[in-house]
Amino acid sequence: MMNLEMAKKLLQTGMKKAQEKGTPCSIAIVDENGWLVALHRMDGAAIPTAEIARDKAWTAATFRIPSAEVSQFGDPKVPGYGFNVQNWNERLTTIAGGMPIWDGDRFIGAIGVCGGTLEEDVTLCKKVIEETGQRT
Amino acid sequence: MKELTLELALKMIEAAERWARDIAGFPCSIAVVGKSGTVIAVHRMDRAGMATTDIAIEKAWTAVAFKMPTLMGSRWLDPRNLGKLMGDHAMGMIGRGKGRLCFIPGGIPITDEENEVIGAIGCSGVPSGVGDISDTSVSQVGVIALYE
Repeated sequence: MMNLEMAKKLLQTGMKKAQEKGTPCSIAIVDENGWLVALHRMDGAAIPTAEIARDKAWTAATFRIPSAEVSQFGDPKVPGYGFNVQNWNERLTTIAGGMPIWDGDRFIGAIGVCGGTLEEDVTLCKKVIEETGQRT
Repeated sequence: MKELTLELALKMIEAAERWARDIAGFPCSIAVVGKSGTVIAVHRMDRAGMATTDIAIEKAWTAVAFKMPTLMGSRWLDPRNLGKLMGDHAMGMIGRGKGRLCFIPGGIPITDEENEVIGAIGCSGVPSGVGDISDTSVSQVGVIALYE
């Protein structure tokens, strides 16, 4: 289960990695139902990154898949097409940078990163989850 | 003019959190926003209600937007003032600010040495009316921690 202690550990790992890279960013941690537990916007990170990081984490937590993969539900070439991925609600986003966090078989929450390029955001998510001993 | 950094924001939040947990005994959410009302950091303590994060952010936003504690603004929305002379209430505030205005006590602006507002702290989740314990007192602990 996601608690504040766990969220702080994830955030500290993420911020250290972002500082090493030199890209200020926002990191959001949400619980298994997509509700915000902790959110940090690093000095120098753009203002909207905080809200976008939260959106990415919400999407990853509620769908339990990386946020970029949600776009497949809106692809006409994929069976089951019909989901409105653009504006289904004000939170949903298909931008890469949100990752679900699993503790073994148990789903515990999600992380959302925004600030660098999409590849940087995704790499940071993966590194943080790896380093804290969880899996995506 | 001093800038409110993430490091300072976390120092405030940690102190307020410790006070809320160990002395007040109520889990709550604490948010710190910068001088333009933008979120710097938010923490939701274990077992705090899930909606408290958003309310804490809204309180902090309102405190920085009006450059005063939300406790003072809450008087404007007191229904007991309805029907009195104009100026005794400001019910028109409801729904303003794109829905972000929140005049529930618990948001306090942060000022620098020159009395310029550099941000605000907001807390939500602590019931009021239990002695001196309230959302405002948790926020106050955070503000005091800034000057330690």
